[in-house]
Amino acid sequence: MDEPELLLDSNIRLWVVLPIVFITFLVGVIRHYVSILLQSDKKLTLEQVSDSQVLIRSRILRENGKYIPKQSFLMRKFYFNNQEDGFLKNTKRKVVPPSPMTDPSMLTDMMKGNVTNVLPMILIGGWINWTFSGFVTTKVPFPLTLRFKPMLQQGIELLSLDASWVSSASWYFLNVFGLRSMYSLILGQDNGADQSRIMQEQMSGAAIAMPADTNKAFKAEWEALELTDHQWALEGVEEELMSRELDLDGMFSKELPTGIF
Amino acid sequence: VNVLIIVFTEMRDKLRKWREDNHRNSEQIVDVGEELINEHASKLGDDIWIIYEQVMIAALDCSRDDLAWTCLQELKKQFPGSQRVKRLAGMRLEALEKYEDASKQYDSILQDDPTNTAARKRKISILKAQGKSAEAIRELNEYLEQFVGDQEAWHELSELYINEHDYGKAAFCLEELMMTNPHNHLYCEQYAEVKYTQGGLENLELSRKYFAQALKLNNGNMRALFGLYMSASHIAASPKVNATVKKANVKYAAWATNQINRAYQVTKTNQLPVEELLLRSS
Repeated sequence: MDEPELLLDSNIRLWVVLPIVFITFLVGVIRHYVSILLQSDKKLTLEQVSDSQVLIRSRILRENGKYIPKQSFLMRKFYFNNQEDGFLKNTKRKVVPPSPMTDPSMLTDMMKGNVTNVLPMILIGGWINWTFSGFVTTKVPFPLTLRFKPMLQQGIELLSLDASWVSSASWYFLNVFGLRSMYSLILGQDNGADQSRIMQEQMSGAAIAMPADTNKAFKAEWEALELTDHQWALEGVEEELMSRELDLDGMFSKELPTGIF
Repeated sequence: VNVLIIVFTEMRDKLRKWREDNHRNSEQIVDVGEELINEHASKLGDDIWIIYEQVMIAALDCSRDDLAWTCLQELKKQFPGSQRVKRLAGMRLEALEKYEDASKQYDSILQDDPTNTAARKRKISILKAQGKSAEAIRELNEYLEQFVGDQEAWHELSELYINEHDYGKAAFCLEELMMTNPHNHLYCEQYAEVKYTQGGLENLELSRKYFAQALKLNNGNMRALFGLYMSASHIAASPKVNATVKKANVKYAAWATNQINRAYQVTKTNQLPVEELLLRSS
């Protein structure tokens, strides 16, 4: 049997829960517009564009090469991988590794990202913690262990209080993540207020910040292409086609469009 | 008043649909777009700019220089210094056949932004419009060396090669397209036609296979069906084939004939209204 349920003052609902939701939401919207204003134009060089397209073409050759005749496939494979003058083998690009320290534009980008996202979160989280402290805000619908108490019940020192009752700071964090879908609805996809997506991007940021790795990318493509063989998809196409009658339904529709008459 | 509002939303939605599907029904776009711009400009909000662009290109197609000029002026006012607007200005010069000026316009875009593909492609179409196909082909090849992934360009190049009767190179371009769009039956069919035109036993076999592939992807492709029949009959009729190949191809041709008959059986019932009309009018 649970302990008796706590009944919270309805004022809490009116003056704490809702304001925190509004604050989080509005801050998110402001962040979105600020990030648009601060966006620096990423200028790609011709070489980068060209290289990325070449890599795509090589990948398509590997994946869909089976749709073209064997001779054509071999011709293209030869062009890419030939020992003496294959494109992937011999093209060396000048590589400038964009480590955050040396490349100034990357540095400013990172800083801007941090300022727009992490800083407000910390500031507002702290302010909310200070303003709305000392009382319990809401209850999470699932039971939590006691370990969560110090984290979620900042400012409320009650040993016997169920860990499901959380403080305003945790409600704030819940909002930050929960309002993500609201942002997508209102600001459209790809918006600057979507913090968790940005954090995800920072983790896989290494994968995306690739310009330097063109040489490595070329080498990887070369290896992959070497291993690819040509399995012509059209070997038995006639037999497959003629195994059944053609589906001619709706070919010539019964109502002729009488636009001319 | 309600009826007018409905008409307005319908017009705007139609324009959007045409824009998204890349239709080139310029006369209709000019009709609908002109009315929309003149009568309902205030209701459109920010949509109006993209409609200006769409209507301007359609106006150039229909030789409506006045309308094109108005649209261009509005866009220039709103987006001064925009490369997209510069390209539209270049297109207008092209429509007026002022090719030198248009070329200079595109060069200035490329100076600012060497990766701008739209300006490069317009320059190539200037060459095409002037009938300089050899140069156009050369420029397009250079363009494709840089931008290997541009499918529109590959298709254009294949057309240019076909016009020059250089079927081998046209086939190469179509192969690129088939790889990037393996489920598009039209590319398979065009490739098969090019191979058929090239002639020779090996190419005929390839063409038969690709006609079959096009049919597999779309059972309703009549052109591919006829192509299958013709390539199979040609192979069967050739003196160089051995008996098994001949027999197989005769079988293919027979199957194709069968399907063609089936298809036209369906339409026999539909031809009655047309026949009646013809009888009545005579």
